[in-house]
Amino acid sequence: MANVSVAAEWQLLYNRYYRKPELYPLRWKNIDLSRNKVACAPFGGPIAVIRDDSKIVQLYSESALRKLRIFTSSGVLISDTVWKNPGGRLIGMSWTEDQTLICIVQDGTVYRYNIHAELIEPNVTLGKECFEQNVVECIFWGNGVVCLTEGGLLFCIPDFKVMRPCQLAETGTEDLPNCMAVIEPKYTVSGNVEVLVGVGDGILIVDEDGVQRVDGEAVQGPVQKMVVSWDGKYLAIFTHDGRILVTDINFKGVLLEYNCEADENLRLIQSSLPEAVEACIDAAGHEFDVSRQRTLLRAASYGQAFCSTKLDTCHCSATDNLQITFQRDRIQEMCKTLRVLNAVRDPEIGIPLSINQYKLLTPSVLIARLINAHRHLLALRISEYVGMNQEVVIMHWACSKITASLAIPDATLLEILLDKLKLCRGISYAAVAAHADKNGRRKLAAMLVEHEPRSSKQVPLLLSIGEEDTALMKATESGDTDLVYLVLFHIWQKRPPLEFFGMIQARPLPRDLFISYARCLLWFWWPSSYYGHLFDNGGQNEAFIKCYKHEFLKDFFLSTGQLQEVAFLLWKESWELGKNPMASKGSPLHGPRIKLIDKAQHLFAETKEHTFESKAAEEHAKLLRIQHELEVSTKQAIFVDSSISDTIRTCIVLGNHRAAMKVKTEFKVSEKRWYWLKVFALATIRDWEALEKFSKEKRPPIGYRPFVEACIDADEKGEALKYIPKLADLRERAEAYARIGMAKEAADAASQAKDGELLGRLKLTFAQNAAASSLFDTLRDRLSFQGVS
Amino acid sequence: MAQIPNLDNSPLNLKSLREQSQKDLVKILKDIRGKKCLVIEPKLGGSLSLIIQTSLLKEYGIELRHLSAEPVQTDCTKVVYLVPSQRDLMKSISSHVHDDISKGLQREYYIYFVPRREIQCERILEEEKVHHLITIGEYPLYIVPVDEDILSFELDLAYKQCQVDGDTGSLWHIAKAIHKLESTFGVIPNVRAKGKASVLVSDILDRMHTEEPMNSSDMALSEINTLILIDREVDMVTPMCSQLTYEGLLDEFLRINNGSVELDSSIMGVQQEGKKMKVPLNSSDKLFKEIRDLNFEVVVQVLRQKATSMKQDYTEMTTTNQTVSELKDFVKKLNSLPEMTRHINLAQHLSTFTSKPSFLAKLDMEHTIIEASSYDICFDYIEEMIHKQEPLVNVLRLLILFSVTNSGLPKKHFDYLRRELLHSYGFEHMATLNNLEKAGLLKKQESKSNWLTVKRALQLVVEDTDTANPNDIAYVFSGYAPLSIRLVQHAVRSGWRAMEEILKLLPGPHTETKRLGFASSPSFATLQGASNGLDKIADGRRCLVLVVFVGGVTFAEIAALRFLSAQEGMAYDLIIGTTKMVNGHSLVETFFETIG
Repeated sequence: MANVSVAAEWQLLYNRYYRKPELYPLRWKNIDLSRNKVACAPFGGPIAVIRDDSKIVQLYSESALRKLRIFTSSGVLISDTVWKNPGGRLIGMSWTEDQTLICIVQDGTVYRYNIHAELIEPNVTLGKECFEQNVVECIFWGNGVVCLTEGGLLFCIPDFKVMRPCQLAETGTEDLPNCMAVIEPKYTVSGNVEVLVGVGDGILIVDEDGVQRVDGEAVQGPVQKMVVSWDGKYLAIFTHDGRILVTDINFKGVLLEYNCEADENLRLIQSSLPEAVEACIDAAGHEFDVSRQRTLLRAASYGQAFCSTKLDTCHCSATDNLQITFQRDRIQEMCKTLRVLNAVRDPEIGIPLSINQYKLLTPSVLIARLINAHRHLLALRISEYVGMNQEVVIMHWACSKITASLAIPDATLLEILLDKLKLCRGISYAAVAAHADKNGRRKLAAMLVEHEPRSSKQVPLLLSIGEEDTALMKATESGDTDLVYLVLFHIWQKRPPLEFFGMIQARPLPRDLFISYARCLLWFWWPSSYYGHLFDNGGQNEAFIKCYKHEFLKDFFLSTGQLQEVAFLLWKESWELGKNPMASKGSPLHGPRIKLIDKAQHLFAETKEHTFESKAAEEHAKLLRIQHELEVSTKQAIFVDSSISDTIRTCIVLGNHRAAMKVKTEFKVSEKRWYWLKVFALATIRDWEALEKFSKEKRPPIGYRPFVEACIDADEKGEALKYIPKLADLRERAEAYARIGMAKEAADAASQAKDGELLGRLKLTFAQNAAASSLFDTLRDRLSFQGVS
Repeated sequence: MAQIPNLDNSPLNLKSLREQSQKDLVKILKDIRGKKCLVIEPKLGGSLSLIIQTSLLKEYGIELRHLSAEPVQTDCTKVVYLVPSQRDLMKSISSHVHDDISKGLQREYYIYFVPRREIQCERILEEEKVHHLITIGEYPLYIVPVDEDILSFELDLAYKQCQVDGDTGSLWHIAKAIHKLESTFGVIPNVRAKGKASVLVSDILDRMHTEEPMNSSDMALSEINTLILIDREVDMVTPMCSQLTYEGLLDEFLRINNGSVELDSSIMGVQQEGKKMKVPLNSSDKLFKEIRDLNFEVVVQVLRQKATSMKQDYTEMTTTNQTVSELKDFVKKLNSLPEMTRHINLAQHLSTFTSKPSFLAKLDMEHTIIEASSYDICFDYIEEMIHKQEPLVNVLRLLILFSVTNSGLPKKHFDYLRRELLHSYGFEHMATLNNLEKAGLLKKQESKSNWLTVKRALQLVVEDTDTANPNDIAYVFSGYAPLSIRLVQHAVRSGWRAMEEILKLLPGPHTETKRLGFASSPSFATLQGASNGLDKIADGRRCLVLVVFVGGVTFAEIAALRFLSAQEGMAYDLIIGTTKMVNGHSLVETFFETIG
């Protein structure tokens, strides 16, 4: 190559020069591209080759079975496998951005392979409709595909990462399209795939929601072929009459109509030294030939040195200086990049990336691809060389190492792994451990996971390797209740109840979370395999299931000796029964409900600390009995589940004073409460006569305030006045008068009480009333004059 | 004025935080293609109203519904649930799905959990046999900026869950939220915690730092200098007292929800019979910003003054010849007229409550309990409330105040009052009482109360408080200085060390942590200096202290904090984090549980 003129390789096309260097002589043998379907990954990626089953070809000394073979760009075989997938002919084959090979067969099944020719499960299908009509064409783009069926329907997988197929709108035309092109989701306004379909005399734009016909001068007559530019901005159209048009993607005018006249206005390059240096560096970058790279970089370096000496002798400006350092850095940078590129371009590796491709791809993706091809050492070196995090490489290496080291004992392998893993802070030991576990190395996994600092990663793994106790401990330590629940559910399902109870009993957080969850189980279906037999004869009986669900929690409380908690649950259940209309209908109400409360009462009574609860439960059961009787005798269903005080009030309101008195005595209601209740109840039915009679029964134990309040609340001033004078406390008396607007009487009482502050407050109350206001002032003055305030 | 607060004056860039939450939500909605029905849990919907305008959501082809037990009525084939990770909600969603199946409706279901998916919820979906029909995602909303200096974690039940159920999930959430703040605003070098839950939060936070170390460049950029964590448990006295600041009273009587109150439009002078309207209350309203933290007595005076001066201006305007620039000034003043009207209406409405003798009597009683000098009077008052069957929440609020200040009630009284409560309100309240007992809010006295010592040492009762020209935080409760804020006051000024003795008298442990490895201050000398006071950091900017209340904070306490930070010689800004804005009522209500 060296003795051929460098310039002679370049050809002018339109207004640009191009050249087409041969990167490698392909190393494969006996591959006739015309007999095969071929998929080349961009960016120097692998090449997939398979015999084309749509063509009739003569078999030479080869098997009738077809083989899918995957080569590097230099034609070195990476892997192969026999193709025996069902589903009809292979229609489309293409590489995704992450170098997965997508193969679509007639019935719409999508098979995926990695570069090691291993099938990636599960297979995906484009859907039932697609299955019924054969796929006839596939159009791929970076990360998706659109398929056309015999019936003219369009199906799409918008993103191979998600693999969720969808059908596009029906075009409604009967003819199959002449040609199609796809605008990728990332370039469309809607964010959905748009397909350009050349059908009949025009072009349709089809997406998920609809079909739209294109107008524009570019579309005049049938279109033979269409291509969308790489940036999604332009569309090239090959027309029926042999013209190539380039149009804006929105069909706003023809930008270019191709004719072969070359633009002779070549730019004249004015040469100056720094620019020449730049050009040399750039050229070196684009060059594939290593010796030419050297020549160009040497020239650049030489020129740059000359630049600096020249500038040294002059008074150089700051910008000049900057430019020198900039160029120096660029040469270094370029050397670095070229070292990486040359390393991967090596025929053994076979990834012939151009510098632009490398920049688009980014070093991290390149490294990922190397790892994927099991080139760990090179990947590690490159990531170190370009100063990147080595975590991905080491991680992948560790996993591959485990897979490949079946013969090495756990302890030895652990050491080998830790030695490399510790190079990288923040690496996921749990992920490596999971891999070890998957490879049947449980002990190794346990050793590795010990080193994982993140509980969210550590705990699930501990569970999967059967270290339940440790998992529960670590989850609790983390303070993350979600992790604790994860462990709880796991153990709960795997262990018999008593063992499970034993594990959580002494651990407050897991225990409390279990209780809190199990409480709400009252409402939920309970599928534990340990109790399955209980459902056999229970059938679909809702109450039975609810009952049972509480049983599990009760079992727990019984096993830990918390009888009062069981009692509370029973009490709760009694309420449940009360709310359930089925329970109160037919069967006498006090039956099952009261039985439950009685049970609760006995359990409370077992411990000295719960005497109060025990008594309360006893009273509750008694109340229910009495209320039930009252409902029977009054024929009014208004008593059950009201409080004792409310029951008394209701009796009085109904005029049933004997019943009220009975409730009072049964529950030893204090005189104080009794007076408030009766007074308020009588006021509610405005039975002022009875109220007065009640006030005279005996001297009320809490005075006449309840009477005053009840009358004022009912807005009965006249009635209130019967009791206000009887108020013993002068201040209370004053305020009561004030509340019914009797300023003078209020003032008198207040001054009798010798309370200046009260007078002030009362004055505010009567602020609107000038006469009253001055009255309070006078009285207050007199008080302060007396020295009392 | 919008309900979404303007965050321009925030000491932290909370706007970016909110914008991120907006973007996250929009992305979720955009990623689900086509028309869809968005079903939001109502409370979460309230929180979201502080993040994004609902009208904006409609742009993404959304029908909006609130989650309830009723099936979702919609023509959309895609149903997207946006719900907090709560077990009870899974039941409703499962029944919706079952209902659709029984009707032969084919729908696509999505659940987005806020702030993260939790296995306890998914487990229920599995048990209900619907899990495989639902696509599950997360909406990581950990923090909602309620105002320019308030962040809420929107954990309504945090206090009850920690104290009664032993479920500390909310503490992990708080730590995560703070960790998120740190990833934006830098690692906080000083952490002070008081109370069991606070110390746990601080521990979990430390753990998160070891699990996911932040690089040292983040450390240097730290915008928040100190984190103070206070447990609600440490001070249950303050929230049980009636708040007396303007905003506090609004909350007590009208319930401020997500930065607004809802009331009859007639109260606001809009004549629409029986119609409710929402009035936003946040710092975007300049007048509100000026008066929200004042004692209500003073607010009435301030409003009267403003109205009078405006009237004067108007008279001058109509009687004398004015220059154009004077006219301009006048018109400018007129712009504040709607705000004036709004707050005069609100204040007038409030005074119908505050002038009632029963309200004054209650305030009296609260002070008597805090003074802790006349046990019998307090006991009789509460007993009578029960006998009169006053609303249970009111009774319990005062009873908790009574029990907490006495460190429980003598067994005889404890049992007697509980019996009277059950007799008056029904035996179903046994569960509520049990909850309150577990939380230590209403219990048997086991040791002598140290309330008097604490009260004296921290000067909680301040005589002769001048509410108009206050010189102490006690003005917010007309004479009682909130304990929680006294602690913060000391913690900011001199750290815990100076008050060890007092701290020991209050519930729970306390810790003080320096995040080591903090790039700029590793030496012992600076460590010493910093713990003796925060003062100014090198470049003269004001220090920023994040005060987090684990279990909720009241508006009155926030008013007190703002008062502190506005004092001369205090070189720090405060920003408040809370599990939720609370008051005595909302706190007590979380403990309500009727058996069954």
